[in-house]
Amino acid sequence: MDFKKFRKRSPWILHYNTGSCNGCDIEILACLAPKYDVERFGILNRGNPKQSDILLVTGPVTKRAKERLLRLYFEMPEPKVVVAVGACACSGGVFRHMYNVENGVDKVIPVDVYVPGCAARPEAIIDGIVRALEILKEKGKEVELPHWCSAQVKPPVNRVKLLDRCLEELHGRR
Amino acid sequence: MSYWTAFILTLFSPVIGGFIYGLERIVRARMQGRVGPPLLQPFYDFFKLMDKRSIIIHSFHAFMGIMYLIGTWFALFVLLSGGDLLIAIFFHVLSLAFLVVGGFSVRSPYSVIGAMRELLHMVAYEPLYVLSAAALYLVTGTFQVSGILHSKHVPLIYLPLFFTAVLFSLPAILKKSPFDTAEAHQEIIGGPEIEYSGKFYEAVYTAKWIEYVYAFFFIFLFAGGNHILGALLIIFAFFFFNLLDNVTARVNFRQMVAFHWYILIPLAVINLMLIALWRS
Amino acid sequence: MEKIVYSLFLVPWVLALAVFLLPGARFHRLRQLITFLSLPALSFLTYLIWNGHLPLQIEAPRWLKLAFTVYDYGLLFYFLYQGIKFRDFLVTVLALFQLFLLTWVLLIIPESSVPDFYVDRLSAFMFLIVSTVGTLICIYATKYMEQENLERENRFVAILLWFLGVMNLAVSVNNIEWFFALFETTTLASYILIRFRWDEVSVKNALRALWMNQIGGIAILLGLLFGIKYYGFTHFTQFLSLSGKPTIVMIPLGFLAVSALVKGAQMPFHRWLLGAMVAPTPVSAILHSATMVKIAPYLILRLSPVIKGTLLAKLLIITTGFVFVGAGLLALTQENFKKILAYSTISLLGLMMLTASMGSSMAILASLTLILFHAVVKALLFMEAGVMEKLFKAKYIEDIRRLVERAPITVAFTSIGFMSMTIVPYGIFVSKWMAIEEASNFLSHGAYVGSIIFMATGGVILALLYFKVIGVMTRKRGEFFRFQLEKVPFVYLFSTVPLVLFVIVGSIFIAKLLCLSVNPVVEAVIGTPAPIIAKGLTLITPVSELYGWQIIGAFVLLLIVPILAYFVHFTGTDRVYEYTCGEKLELNIGTYNFFCIQAVEPFVETAAVALFILTLVLGGGLV
Ligand code: SF4
Repeated sequence: MDFKKFRKRSPWILHYNTGSCNGCDIEILACLAPKYDVERFGILNRGNPKQSDILLVTGPVTKRAKERLLRLYFEMPEPKVVVAVGACACSGGVFRHMYNVENGVDKVIPVDVYVPGCAARPEAIIDGIVRALEILKEKGKEVELPHWCSAQVKPPVNRVKLLDRCLEELHGRR
Repeated sequence: MSYWTAFILTLFSPVIGGFIYGLERIVRARMQGRVGPPLLQPFYDFFKLMDKRSIIIHSFHAFMGIMYLIGTWFALFVLLSGGDLLIAIFFHVLSLAFLVVGGFSVRSPYSVIGAMRELLHMVAYEPLYVLSAAALYLVTGTFQVSGILHSKHVPLIYLPLFFTAVLFSLPAILKKSPFDTAEAHQEIIGGPEIEYSGKFYEAVYTAKWIEYVYAFFFIFLFAGGNHILGALLIIFAFFFFNLLDNVTARVNFRQMVAFHWYILIPLAVINLMLIALWRS
Repeated sequence: MEKIVYSLFLVPWVLALAVFLLPGARFHRLRQLITFLSLPALSFLTYLIWNGHLPLQIEAPRWLKLAFTVYDYGLLFYFLYQGIKFRDFLVTVLALFQLFLLTWVLLIIPESSVPDFYVDRLSAFMFLIVSTVGTLICIYATKYMEQENLERENRFVAILLWFLGVMNLAVSVNNIEWFFALFETTTLASYILIRFRWDEVSVKNALRALWMNQIGGIAILLGLLFGIKYYGFTHFTQFLSLSGKPTIVMIPLGFLAVSALVKGAQMPFHRWLLGAMVAPTPVSAILHSATMVKIAPYLILRLSPVIKGTLLAKLLIITTGFVFVGAGLLALTQENFKKILAYSTISLLGLMMLTASMGSSMAILASLTLILFHAVVKALLFMEAGVMEKLFKAKYIEDIRRLVERAPITVAFTSIGFMSMTIVPYGIFVSKWMAIEEASNFLSHGAYVGSIIFMATGGVILALLYFKVIGVMTRKRGEFFRFQLEKVPFVYLFSTVPLVLFVIVGSIFIAKLLCLSVNPVVEAVIGTPAPIIAKGLTLITPVSELYGWQIIGAFVLLLIVPILAYFVHFTGTDRVYEYTCGEKLELNIGTYNFFCIQAVEPFVETAAVALFILTLVLGGGLV
């Protein structure tokens, strides 16, 4: 039986705020409210990385948040997609080039879909999620690593060690 | 009920429970003025989870998740096979034990708190269920589930307050608002189930559907031999508890236990006294 | 037959003397051997009694009567001496009061020709428990004391053995005055054992145990006094002849029941049993399981045909039921492992007396099953507590965290012990189940409704308690990389494994066990056996059935699976860390100790006192 087609039908979401102004977060929550009601598509906001498929990230990724973001990312089981919501998450937005931010989510973890806007409109977010579902459907189950990470993994992956390794590299980068 | 019907019913209970859960999500959405997911949504979730890469904390924990499914399934079979009602109730405790031990076995604060609260749920609702087993015995003259299902009396007529009490504690057994402290998604993110993922979470997820069947079958018993009334009761209970889920906020565990012990159990006892008065 | 009965008292005493006379480290092995002898010897004697012609009435020689009287005075003067020596007001006053009452009793006691020993199946049942569980504890104690204090080991083990003999004697006497003497002897034994370590706390707790139990003794004397005044009765069998008579004066029975409540450490007299935990662990094991506190349900069982259905019985039901719940609640707040066990003993003793005072055949069956399984399980749990203390230095719940990684055997045994007190197929559950179903027959009366509520509530509270502890023990950091059993000394294994096996096998074959061994005892207690049938593994009670497949299914789930869990490794799956909202935390997870319950503790105790007085005043018909 091909389970792949069910991925599109029940995407569960983990939403993480990496230091956004909360504008985008409010819009994400608006998607869940009656007007847009994303539960129509089976989307649930689980709040738990271990049971989620889509990581919605808002905010420019502050220095403090990047380690957390990476931890959450590794806690999510594959297949998974990352959606960067809002201008901040895409490129740093109004916070770009500030001393305390990383200028976008894709500096830390691989991003599949970028949703622009400051704040991103709910329609845009839904559109982004739908795009993400297309990508999710095609994804394999291999462990994904950030582009800057040089670690080699072979299953079964011990993510505790993997995280340590990646964190070392992350902090040593600068 | 013969063993075979019971066996087949038990075997398909995840499907039935899944449909109930799907319906519940729709009903809840409609009550909130939303459209809600399709009816088959729980099964989509189920199949999606099959396909996920599983990551676990350690094998013991993951194993306990699977055991929770098997335990619940077995408890349901004990209930449906027409044996003793009390024993079926205590088997339910046994199945919860796996979830609790699993929840305790990881060093995750959410999981441990959730497991503790899971036990407190048990403390809250279990005396009521034991008492209602005794009350059903008083009306129908038997503890055997098959006997109750064939009894000429309709327990609901004699035990209206009991029925009310069980109705109000239904959220506690199914972990719905206002008595959802064990899961409390906004607070401890699912409690004991938080650390499960992929196929192992699927086991826990399915076990919860089975619990739906378990709880609603208990409601069904209040109709005794009148099975049409039983079906009506289930439908009523279903809508009632969805309404309750939507209109109430979560109470803390002390309020939950206090509500069960100081309001529902006395309600049940008053009912018992009234029966005694009426019979004498 | 008489000789066998006498040897049941004398053999432990002789062995005790032998152990006592072999002091020092040199004779350790020899002492162990002698102690070990008590197991086959006593079991064989019990076996003979069990298969003999019961009930047995034995006329005691006249000199024995005189000896008992002299002994009584000696004992009470010893209490008085202790009271004065430690400047303990209560002990002194109570001893004086006891002396006064005893003299009064002796002045008015009528001559009776009723045999002074009465050995029926109930006594034999108690012999059975004492001679198996009790001796296993003694064997365990030899090793325990070797690790603690080899110099005083002989003394300790000798007292334990002597205690077994006393216990055997106490459950076979018929004469209430003698019963008083033996009751107080058990008090003396507990006093000596509790203060065994001779530090300040020990002595304090021992004195508390002494005065609390003295109150029980006073209650017996008062009961005897009223018995003589109203009926001229001095023997249990005479009281039994009252059963079924419509109007009887309840005062003597009320006092005897109260003495049972005190001995059974029911609230508000529960402190003495809690205090016993300062002594070496075998003391707790022997006090809680095989001997001492079991006198309490024994006494109620003896009286149950007479008090059945009276106000006294109903009040007893409510009082003990309340203790069942209350002690369970208080146990939740404890963090000392032994204290948790002690509270749960108090709680379960409440349940035993509750079922015993219900008085119908099924209830008595439930009570006896409880006594049997509780004795075995509590002995097991206390032995494991001792093992944890000695091998892993764990006394508090905090210390047993992640014990499963270091000590799989200990954890497995402890878990079996805990589970067998609440969960479905085990003996204690079966008796609770039978009791609830029996109480359902009398729902028109408030006391029985209360008993169901108490049983249901107390049951889940205990489940909550045990799972809390099991949860702490099984918490672990990661995978079992290599499976390694801890090294437990042979003697510890020798004394715990039989108990575990009994719990498991006895629970699987519960139907047979109840029909063949426990039901004859029920018949001896109230005259009719309980209407139960064993069909294969299936237990058929008048209103319901416990199917064999349910028992087996539950055992597969509960026993095989956790053992499997050690060996199942999902090697192909990824490992990950716990979810902590992305934070990097050093996790240190404590236990939840229900401090909110401490606020209600005074209320629980006040209510217990009120119920206690109610039982005495209304139930005993003092008004
Ligand atoms: S994109 Fe705009 S609204 Fe969204 S978080 Fe950044 S600043 Fe706020």
